[in-house]
Amino acid sequence: MRDLYQRLRLSVDADDTAVAAAIDRCEHTGLKADAATVLQAEWRRAEYDALHDTLSDIGRLRARLGLTHAPYWRAGPADDFSLPPGPPGSRFEEWMQRLNRAALAHNRAPRRRLAVAVLWLATLAGGIGLGMFL
Amino acid sequence: MTAARFSTFELLLLQSRDQADSAALLLLAWVLTQQGPVGESERAHLVALTGAFRHGHELTPLLEIAASQDLGAIQLAAEVLQKELHGETSRAFLRLAVTLATEDAEPTLANHHILRFLADLLGVSPPEFAALYASQAGRPLSEPADPSRSDYWQRRERGSRERRRERQPDAEDPTEHAAEQESRASRREQRAEARRQAREAKAEAKRQRQAEKEEEKARQYAEREAERRRKQARREAERERQRAERETQRERRRDDRERKQEHRDDRSQRSRAGNEGASHVHQRANAPDPRIRSALVVLGLEPGASRGEIRKAYRRLAQAHHPDRFHREGEAIVASASRRFQRIRRAYDFLMKVS
Repeated sequence: MRDLYQRLRLSVDADDTAVAAAIDRCEHTGLKADAATVLQAEWRRAEYDALHDTLSDIGRLRARLGLTHAPYWRAGPADDFSLPPGPPGSRFEEWMQRLNRAALAHNRAPRRRLAVAVLWLATLAGGIGLGMFL
Repeated sequence: MTAARFSTFELLLLQSRDQADSAALLLLAWVLTQQGPVGESERAHLVALTGAFRHGHELTPLLEIAASQDLGAIQLAAEVLQKELHGETSRAFLRLAVTLATEDAEPTLANHHILRFLADLLGVSPPEFAALYASQAGRPLSEPADPSRSDYWQRRERGSRERRRERQPDAEDPTEHAAEQESRASRREQRAEARRQAREAKAEAKRQRQAEKEEEKARQYAEREAERRRKQARREAERERQRAERETQRERRRDDRERKQEHRDDRSQRSRAGNEGASHVHQRANAPDPRIRSALVVLGLEPGASRGEIRKAYRRLAQAHHPDRFHREGEAIVASASRRFQRIRRAYDFLMKVS
């Protein structure tokens, strides 16, 4: 599938007037006819947009997972929906790092909790003492 | 601690008894939500298909994540699958996905692309996947249609018109038709609206995240700046202290020299008087002068080294640290070498002058 928005230099949420203007501007007759058929009828555009969203998501996933040159993608929508390969951050690694950090914080937490409890008790005792004194 | 927030799916993975099964279940739920609205029967079907899974947690949150198209969760699931599934297990997973997508009808276009994505993810080549698909669905894998071309819509609308004409004899009423179309249009509108809202919510969340990140960055920058200033102040204080120390040392040395001068005067007077002060002078020259000692340390020698040893050490070090040896390694290295060389040189000159 082609990305009509990208080929017409439109944003995905362009309104009807912008779409019409872009189609008028377009010089490629085939693309012009297709875009007029697809984007200027509301129900067609809605369906097209749904698929466009899904394909953009898949393109993003493939970019993050390093699958932009896998056979099925290259043969199909790669030209229009490929993104440059993202930073080589793995979601799994990042999750593991966060888990480790959380575990460390958890190991450190009891001391802090104890300090808070002691402070709270001291405040309470002080308050009671003050109340009895008055 | 904002960094240690875990998403719903990450928490589910932590609870899960089998992470690979949880991840597979999320991706299957993704396929299912792309096939159409998920009702009770679809859900039951998914549960029946995945009866052998050992994840041991609720299905509902996974279906919600899949319906919201949470890319982060889907990516994490894909990575887990990529790590855990090999060979036959990955084929089994793909068979499940194909079954889900082709059970009632042709797979939707979205699912065509998702199935291909899963095949690429698990390293199943196109011919192998086509064979797997054909054996599982009972029909060959077709190329996905292209809704960016007008002939796709022409074909489709011709097909639906024919179907309508077939149905016309028993349902002559045009109002029903209009109502049906209207309801379909309204449903479509609702879906489009929901999608738009989801997109906006995503953009909002992204903006928020970015703002948080920027705040964090600014805070870190301020901290670093403060740390740097503190360090600089400490360094300056240190330098001040060293300068003061050097000053006192210099004064002490001046005092020393004056005393020596007096001593020498004394001695000349005394030698003029007699020859009894000689042993005393010798002892004085051998006394450890800090400058001599530090110069010897620069040359890597013990106190009390002879002239020959000093010269030998100097030649060795000068050869090792000569700046000309480093001209290929860049200006900074040459500069540091020349500083070292000068230090060695000065120490040597000083020692030669003194001894």
